[in-house]
Amino acid sequence: MNLNNVVERAEAGWNKSLERLFELLRIPSISTDPAYSGACDDAAHWLVKELQAIGFDASSRKTPGRPMVVAHYTPKDATAKTPHALFYGHYDVQPVDPLDLWHTQPFEPVLKKGADGVERIYGRGTADDKGQLMTFVEAARAWIDATGSLPIKATFLIEGEEESGSPSLIPFLKENKDELSCDIAMICDSGMWDAKTPAITTRLRGLVHEEVQIEGPSIDLHSGMYGGPATNPIRALSQLVAALHDGNGKVTIPGFYDGVSKVSPAIKKQWASLKFSEKKFLGSVGLKSAAGEKGFTALEQIWARPTAEVNGMWGGYTGAGTKTVIPSKAHAKFTFRLVGKQNPQKILKAFQAFAKKHLMKDAKISFSGKGGGSPATEIAENNPYILKSAAALKAEWGRETMLVGSGGSIPIVRSFKDILGMDSVLVGFGLDDDAIHSPNEKYNLTSFQRGIKSWVRIIGALAG
Amino acid sequence: MLQAVLSKIDAAQEESLEKLFDLVKFQTIATDPAFHPECTACAAWLKAYLESFGAKASLHKTMGQPVLIGRWNEGETKLPHVLFYGHYDVQPVDPLNLWASPPFAPRIGVTARGNKAVFGRGSADDKGQLLTFLEAVRAWINVHGTLPFRLTVLLEGDEEGNSEVLDAFLKEQGAKLKADIAMICDTEMWDDRTPAITTSLRGCISEDVVVTGPRIDLHSGYFGGPARNPLKALAAMIAKLHDAKGKVTVPGFYNGVKPVSKAKLAGWKALKLTEKKMLSGVGLKVSAGEQPYSLPEQLWARPTLEVNGFWGGYMGVGSKTVLPAKAQAKFSMRLVEGQNPLKVRKAFRAYMKAILPADCTISFKSHAGDSSGIAVAEKNPWIAEAAAALKDEWGVKTALVGSGVSIPVVESFRKHQKMESLLVGFARHDDAAHSPNEKYDLESFHRGTRSWARLFGRIAKEMKS
Repeated sequence: MNLNNVVERAEAGWNKSLERLFELLRIPSISTDPAYSGACDDAAHWLVKELQAIGFDASSRKTPGRPMVVAHYTPKDATAKTPHALFYGHYDVQPVDPLDLWHTQPFEPVLKKGADGVERIYGRGTADDKGQLMTFVEAARAWIDATGSLPIKATFLIEGEEESGSPSLIPFLKENKDELSCDIAMICDSGMWDAKTPAITTRLRGLVHEEVQIEGPSIDLHSGMYGGPATNPIRALSQLVAALHDGNGKVTIPGFYDGVSKVSPAIKKQWASLKFSEKKFLGSVGLKSAAGEKGFTALEQIWARPTAEVNGMWGGYTGAGTKTVIPSKAHAKFTFRLVGKQNPQKILKAFQAFAKKHLMKDAKISFSGKGGGSPATEIAENNPYILKSAAALKAEWGRETMLVGSGGSIPIVRSFKDILGMDSVLVGFGLDDDAIHSPNEKYNLTSFQRGIKSWVRIIGALAG
Repeated sequence: MLQAVLSKIDAAQEESLEKLFDLVKFQTIATDPAFHPECTACAAWLKAYLESFGAKASLHKTMGQPVLIGRWNEGETKLPHVLFYGHYDVQPVDPLNLWASPPFAPRIGVTARGNKAVFGRGSADDKGQLLTFLEAVRAWINVHGTLPFRLTVLLEGDEEGNSEVLDAFLKEQGAKLKADIAMICDTEMWDDRTPAITTSLRGCISEDVVVTGPRIDLHSGYFGGPARNPLKALAAMIAKLHDAKGKVTVPGFYNGVKPVSKAKLAGWKALKLTEKKMLSGVGLKVSAGEQPYSLPEQLWARPTLEVNGFWGGYMGVGSKTVLPAKAQAKFSMRLVEGQNPLKVRKAFRAYMKAILPADCTISFKSHAGDSSGIAVAEKNPWIAEAAAALKDEWGVKTALVGSGVSIPVVESFRKHQKMESLLVGFARHDDAAHSPNEKYDLESFHRGTRSWARLFGRIAKEMKS
């Protein structure tokens, strides 16, 4: 096998690859709107047909919602030692409103060269996720066209409910556990660090939430007749919220940081090299200085440090004018972003104990969160699949691959780990200005073309 | 002299009740323009009523409902001069479906505690209460032909709505309405057996606060950590407003607050107000108020700073991982004698700005209706006379109490007439003054009338000696 031949094959097929992407983009597969369920079926069938044409054993599988596309490829000379990778993407897209802000029709894709000389594909789903998933589909095609086979065992899982909460995914993974369990999952739904620098996301924060109600008096009281002696639950709740952090922004709940690992000096150095501009990041939302834990950069605060946040808080009179009431109740919703080995259940317990301890004398507290929650996902930097993928990306882009984090959680990564027992490598070619979920979504032509070549190289690296 | 009047009052109970029924039937909801003709008709009825026992009465236009003034012994400048104040307007009646009988069809019924009472909107607040005074005057005049003092009666119709109407009227009248004392019947007894004179009232100012952090709501995953959360900022500011002892930490907040005199404190201590008595009914056990002050001091002599409402971020069902752009709160401050509302507001704003975290902005909004706290001078001879008269009637020592609530007319009288007020009332805790099924105990009505007659008797005695 000669990797360069495959790369050349991919380059030679770029025009055809783009035509096929346009076909998929024309199908308005909006999963959240039942009016488009037929279009989702069409998109699934289109993918099945394409994958079968390449040589996959592909089928569209029914779920209570939109169908799931599953396809397998096993090389003829495969052995038990041949690596097996699962590739994940989603064919459904976001709704298109507000339509009047689009410069072109969302489901009539066009390639346009900007004043800056950059060519971009415009249309709903170009970046999220049809353009991205077609990078690995076209890479597989290039391998088979050039060498007659893929060098690894491959399973494609392409779902149609990602933009509407993936309700069928977990049951489907559980029901088809044996069929879908592979050595590693490759997820193509993330971004590059910038237009020239490839990135692999290796850290995703976990999440757990809680809802709190504090009761003071049993009924709302007149603040003239009771103001002074009566315990005010808003004040009690404010005291609790204020007590959650110390003067350095550190969370004060005992045991909160148990299981939080330190960022290695190598990664710290790499992140420092990203020259991330705190000023620009916060300036874009009207803030000036990082309010998080002192002693950590904003990137570290988002990618590698846990948080305790209030997402909503309410109580008493919130209408127009005045009402001199001492309310009976005050409420707040909290979320905790988790990292490392922090255990969501332990965090909840620790928070509840802390809240009870910091409660004003005469107040009563109750918790009504649904429990659950998910721990963080951190894939070891020296995971062999990460190392191989990073090297392959570097070969394509000519730059060191950045191992980055994401402050949000991507539920599919947890599901793959918990249900199928496999780690995920998150590789993607999206850019910050792709306007995913917004009007005028786009995907740079270079993201598409070099994305295909990147997967050609990664597949080769996984085989080697 | 007094005995004949008391007998007359006892004999005329039915007649007095008829007057109260007539008065309650007027639907005098001044805050609703649909009922303004009812207010006008009620004022006219009251004018004829006052004239029926010798008043020289006149109706006066205001920005709101008419003010009625009635005078007796007008030229008798050697007699002491009493001004009596009451209001004929009432609270709205919603929610109507919770009334056991129509609010403006007065009836006699039995209360949950087994007392006979008149039920109807305004039966206590303030139609029943104001009639105790006027029926005492009527009885006195019926028996003796004339009063032993000069009397000016001032009845207004905007107390439950816009107190600025009367304030403007009193400002315009100035010295013309000055008397030696203003008597007001709009307060409660200490308990069913113990008469009370209210000698201090807390004032009130309110402020709305908005704290803004980021320009827009943020995703807590992508921004959680570095982004300033205004909910946390405002909560932390609220937590800083009191120290561990419940003292307000705003610099200058307590400027002008005077300690309570030993005599007054002794009187309050004798009331034996316990945390259990005051708080157990509303589900609380221990006072959260300022230490080391006693409950009566916390309620009547110490200012407070309260949050009345707080909101921001996601308040719906389930969770939303948002870092909101804004947090808002409504505050009110109860003030006591000596505090300047404007200065307190300024101090509050300055402190909130001083403790505002970096990267946040804050804005304030005030509402009209500032009032000062008031403490009646304790050496006022009228208090001693009234306390003695009340004790004569009820057989229990009169309690000199405070009230956490403000009665704006007291401040207006002080400001425009340089006149102190005497607050005597016979309402009970369970009168449901602003609620459905308002009532006034028959005992309050009857013995309230007798109480005023006894005070008139003491004034008559003073004049003789």
